[in-house]
Amino acid sequence: MGIKDRLKTGIQKNLNQKYIKRLLGIIAKKPILYTYGSTFSSVSDKYLNIFTIESLRKAYSDNYRPVGYGSLFLPYEMIHALGITPFLPEVMAGFTAGLGLAAQTIKQASLNWYSQDLCTFHRSASGAQELEVFPKPDFILTTNLACDAAQKSFYIYSKKYDIEKNFYLIDVPYRYSQESLFYLTAQIKNIYMDISSKSGRKPDISKLSEAIELSNEFREWAIKVNRLRETLTDYPPYFNALNYILPFHGLAGTREAVTLYKYMYIELKKYLAKQLNKNHDKKNLPKKILWLHLKPYYRSEVFDILNKENCIVAFEEINYVYWPRLDPSKPFESLAIKMLSHFLGGKIDNRVNMILKLAGEYNIDGVILFAHWGCRQSNGGARIIKDSLNKLGIPTLVLDGDCVDRNNSSQGQVKTRMQGFLEILNSKT
Amino acid sequence: MTYNNDKNINDISVFFKNILSSENNRPAVGLFCTYAPEELIFAAGFVPSRVMGRKKLARSESYFPINFCPYIKSSWESLLSADGSLKAAVFTNSCDGMRRLYDTANIYLKNTPSYLLDVPRLQGESSINFFKGNLNDMKIFMGDLAGRKITDGEIEKTAAVINKKRKTLKKFSRIFKELPHLILISTYFKVMELSMTSDPLIFTDELEKYIEFIEKTSRDHKIIPGKDNKKIPSIMIIGNFITENKLWDMLSALNLKLAADDLCTSTRYFEKQIEINSGQDILYSMAQRYLTKPPCMRMADLGLKLKEIENNITENNIEGVIFISLKFCDTVLYSFPLLKQKLNQLKIPVLYLEMEYNNFSEGQLKTRIQAFLEML
Repeated sequence: MGIKDRLKTGIQKNLNQKYIKRLLGIIAKKPILYTYGSTFSSVSDKYLNIFTIESLRKAYSDNYRPVGYGSLFLPYEMIHALGITPFLPEVMAGFTAGLGLAAQTIKQASLNWYSQDLCTFHRSASGAQELEVFPKPDFILTTNLACDAAQKSFYIYSKKYDIEKNFYLIDVPYRYSQESLFYLTAQIKNIYMDISSKSGRKPDISKLSEAIELSNEFREWAIKVNRLRETLTDYPPYFNALNYILPFHGLAGTREAVTLYKYMYIELKKYLAKQLNKNHDKKNLPKKILWLHLKPYYRSEVFDILNKENCIVAFEEINYVYWPRLDPSKPFESLAIKMLSHFLGGKIDNRVNMILKLAGEYNIDGVILFAHWGCRQSNGGARIIKDSLNKLGIPTLVLDGDCVDRNNSSQGQVKTRMQGFLEILNSKT
Repeated sequence: MTYNNDKNINDISVFFKNILSSENNRPAVGLFCTYAPEELIFAAGFVPSRVMGRKKLARSESYFPINFCPYIKSSWESLLSADGSLKAAVFTNSCDGMRRLYDTANIYLKNTPSYLLDVPRLQGESSINFFKGNLNDMKIFMGDLAGRKITDGEIEKTAAVINKKRKTLKKFSRIFKELPHLILISTYFKVMELSMTSDPLIFTDELEKYIEFIEKTSRDHKIIPGKDNKKIPSIMIIGNFITENKLWDMLSALNLKLAADDLCTSTRYFEKQIEINSGQDILYSMAQRYLTKPPCMRMADLGLKLKEIENNITENNIEGVIFISLKFCDTVLYSFPLLKQKLNQLKIPVLYLEMEYNNFSEGQLKTRIQAFLEML
């Protein structure tokens, strides 16, 4: 049994905070961590895993307080500048799927009256939180950007730990206007000042500006990676960019995010050079898929089927750099601009326009929208997205499934639907 | 129960003749949420009318996923089948589902202009000011629709009209709760539905007369409000946009008193007045009212909602809570784990129900509600 399987089995048998803390204390020690890291096929994957484990170790440790729960789409630049160790329950829900824990956590959520109609990312995270698997938070930050679920489940966490006064919702307006910018900037600034004061620190704007500089640096590398990907006709077997949630979220504004994308760029550039030296049969080049929403985080055949049918995920909407360069001299306003620029905010047109742009830039042959159970904001727009792509003659598959709960997703049905879709795609010349 | 030989007190067709008459059909603007300001629509000369979504699903299923708010899907069915019959449709960003309904209407509804009002989730001063600006934006949209500029004076007048409607509804609600043997639960919600779909001037006038009739009947039959010798459990219903007539009929026939509620179709709709005084910007007053009215679970501070529910339970001597949510309503469903904890602390039993829209399975629900009432 390899190191990864041993870790998995260990956590499955001992799903409690104490065990996880002890485990992280052991594997986060540098020699072990780097040995573990070396089991990954690429440098970027290695660092993604190392940074994730380090970040978790800090969140579970008593030496890196305060700890702040954060939802996706928050301006993490601010959280790092405040010296808060971030902990992302939604990302952890993905881990519960990968580690085979979701059945336990989702069951616990049901026992605590979370309806099974709700998103399994949030149900699994809530179940884990009810099982007290997560570290105790000092602050809880969330936003209404993209979806309703986080703001509600995160409020419940604040109640559990009796820290409602340290619960912050960043209320992102629907429209991007001067008034919206003013309203949002003031909120971000107030939160920054309030948390600084509660942490007994003077608000340090220069730290925030530094985080924004790093965020800009990451942005440049991400754009470079994305440009490079436009020319790639296939990918190294280890590469799955749907795993890279953290650099765009929990690691935003850190050196780690920059490092990751820098390595990714170097690796993909080398791969591209090899690819250019090969004589490709242009007729047999893989079909290019644009992937919308997230993927199943448990073992699923989805990507094997793509591979088998000579298709690649050429790009994923989650990796699209949607925001402009930020101005470090106006940090609060910059973060507000970043949030207001998100394609999941406001009208569906913002998302559709981004998808159509990506379809053109990456010469997309087909689009798969993974319709994760309970994700109203994404699935509610599926018909519009499909119709918009059909107008351009791009086939679209709305693939019903569940990113977290394998029992809520019929593998047979997924397989049949994917094969049918890929047949259509491959029949097109 | 008929207390008067001339008129059945629970036959609202007798008391709301003008509203129910097709002669009073003025152009209407459709609404979908209690945060949509009727004042601005009425000021533009249109009737603010809540879209009830009474249509059975047919075409709507192909626009939205299976696990999507059934009210939204039914509303979309109504909009699709009567495209052009409304002057416009005004949406709010109340939830993810509603945002997508707006997008769908905006793209596929060719003959009905649609507008989305951005409603903040926070309730502080800066949110009120921000919302004031959004109301001004909607005022411009309504003005364009009417083909003229809407003045603040006009809005003040319509705010007074809607305030009066709310005040009268509140009085009706109080009387209904004090006279549970006189007014049926089904009658109460039929009146509420009319209030949301009718010309506010005509409706309020008829409601006032209906209240007078109820008061007279109560006096004639020496029924003392609030004094009820029969021991029946006081129930509170908490939920969202529950409009199922069969449910209300069923509850009317059961041994319970609806002593309090937290629903989009009742208190969340009519509680809290707009402060109208010449010194204050009317849009600011409106923003203040809407953001501080009894909140929907969509708002950030769920703690405030729980406190409000606790107060309601104490003030109305509630013995049991029936929680009814439409399926797939994230904001309401997420409130339940905390609500359950709170009710456990208060030692108040709660019955949890999820239901479809326009698709009511009476037998099963009746058994569960009866068993719950027996337990009380």
